Amino acid sequence: MHIRPFREFKRNRIGVTGLVMFLLLSTTAILAPVIAPHDPWDYSDRSFQSPSINHLLGTNDIGYDIFSELLWALRTSVLFGVSVAAIACTIGLILGISAALIGGLYDLVVMRIVDALLAIPSILVLILIAAYFRPSTMILVITLSLIIWQTIARGIRAQTLSLKTKLHIKAARNMGASTAYIMRKHIIPELFPLYAMGFVTKARIAVFMEAGLSFLGIFDPTTKSLGIMMSYAMRYLYLDVWFNWLLPAVLLLSMLIVSLALISYAIEEIFDPRLKEDNAATV
Amino acid sequence: MRNRTAKIVTIYLLTIFFLLFLNFLLPRLLPGDVILAMYSGYEVTITDELYNELVQLHGLDKPLHEQFFIYLAQLAHGNLGYSYIYHASTTTLIMNALPWTLLLVCTSFILSAIIGMILGVESSWVRGRRSDRSLLVSMLVVDGVPSLAIGILFLTIFGLYGGWFPTSGAMMPYSNLAGIAHIKDILWHLILPLATLTLSQIPGDYLLIRNSMILTIREPYVLTARAKGIKERKIKYFHAARNAILPFFTRIGIRLAYVITGVLFIETIFAYPGLGLLTYNAISNRDLPLLQGILTVSVLLVLLINIIVDLLYKKIDPRVEYAY
Repeated sequence: MHIRPFREFKRNRIGVTGLVMFLLLSTTAILAPVIAPHDPWDYSDRSFQSPSINHLLGTNDIGYDIFSELLWALRTSVLFGVSVAAIACTIGLILGISAALIGGLYDLVVMRIVDALLAIPSILVLILIAAYFRPSTMILVITLSLIIWQTIARGIRAQTLSLKTKLHIKAARNMGASTAYIMRKHIIPELFPLYAMGFVTKARIAVFMEAGLSFLGIFDPTTKSLGIMMSYAMRYLYLDVWFNWLLPAVLLLSMLIVSLALISYAIEEIFDPRLKEDNAATV
Repeated sequence: MRNRTAKIVTIYLLTIFFLLFLNFLLPRLLPGDVILAMYSGYEVTITDELYNELVQLHGLDKPLHEQFFIYLAQLAHGNLGYSYIYHASTTTLIMNALPWTLLLVCTSFILSAIIGMILGVESSWVRGRRSDRSLLVSMLVVDGVPSLAIGILFLTIFGLYGGWFPTSGAMMPYSNLAGIAHIKDILWHLILPLATLTLSQIPGDYLLIRNSMILTIREPYVLTARAKGIKERKIKYFHAARNAILPFFTRIGIRLAYVITGVLFIETIFAYPGLGLLTYNAISNRDLPLLQGILTVSVLLVLLINIIVDLLYKKIDPRVEYAY
């Protein structure tokens, strides 16, 4: 059995929808400094203005332009999600492969750390650390990555162990291929689905955590964030600001996470052949 | 068998030790004086007298390893510290809040498991048809909407603008209701937070059961049951689903962490007086002793439930014993 991941993905409508949504959102996020009509830190305008041509979604309690603020907040979410996912996946990949290849005491120690991290509710630890130290965004990215890499490492290790005994790897070894060559040409490409899946899952957790922590008021208060916007908008609900202030922030966060959820389901469907439908490509 | 139990217990003991150590170490890593950093909540003044008392309590004049033993001894006596903002012991505050959280968590856990399982089983049975695909897609979308967003939407739509449900608290204050009226009042306040928490869990249960059912339906014993002429519904629920729900139990621990995250935000949004709201208040008042106490208790509870599930799993699925 051989899977052509990209071709399969293109035929999966759920996955394509998710990917298109994610790409649209992240392009908007990256271009935020260009698109945003106002400086989101400029509070010279009148507060609580209704939506108009000048201020597409009106202004907030201290006169920030809500539309520009939204774009910058989306940027924070996307950047936070992607960087946490990248770091966590790299840690998981390195530790998972090395544990499987080296084995022995090293493998045992790594797997015990994985077990311990699996048992801890990571949000509680993150809240504790964030509440104590009020860390900067950079430190939070690293801290979060350090407590959520465990599932990736476990999956990668299991897959590498089973790959090691596969015939084509043995054949390559018998023909004199070096460990580095086997890693590069066989192991890492075959681990790609696991890596992709892990990346999307972790990005999703990170986006949620960023919004959640800033909603609770323990994220770096100087950055723009969807969570901070929601928590402020909720304080002024009695002023009928929910449709131009609260709702856009809630919808944007939901769309971002929904897009990641769709992608991760599609990847799962493609790479677990047992879940595949006999009459393929029906959505 | 003994090997498996020993392994599980060791892992959990190590984890608990690690967390307690983290809890002990964090305040001591704060810059400056430990007591001033820990107790510098926004509305607390620390007199010299109080300062000396706290030094004595935590043994801060002694070497670090003795401080750790003092910390463990305090914990063993059920003394989690004192909140100078509420002027009450952390243990009392937690014990007052815990029942509300348990009510919310347990009810939603059971409700969503039942709904998710039924939807998952039915969906997998008609796989590939229109009803299955549309249910799957809508579940994936609901799965993506974070509990935070569901809660805010429910609060504004049903609470503030609809005015159909109360928007905060767990019961009417100063109402002196008794008997049935009191219970009705509590349920009335429970509906919105419970609906949010349940809705946020259903897709996870649904997807898990649907995937697991799809794999189970192909097993030969399902074909046998069919050949014997057993009724469709009986095969579905008593033959296939009986085995397909097993992964649900292995994942209780993971689901629990998910529910705890949800409860934290949902209680904050609906001002529901459980542990989640207490955590939020502790964060906003910078009441670090209280925060530390809450985290110790909730982490111990999660680990306790995890270890029970791990040890009981053998009873639910005897096949795991061969895996070790």
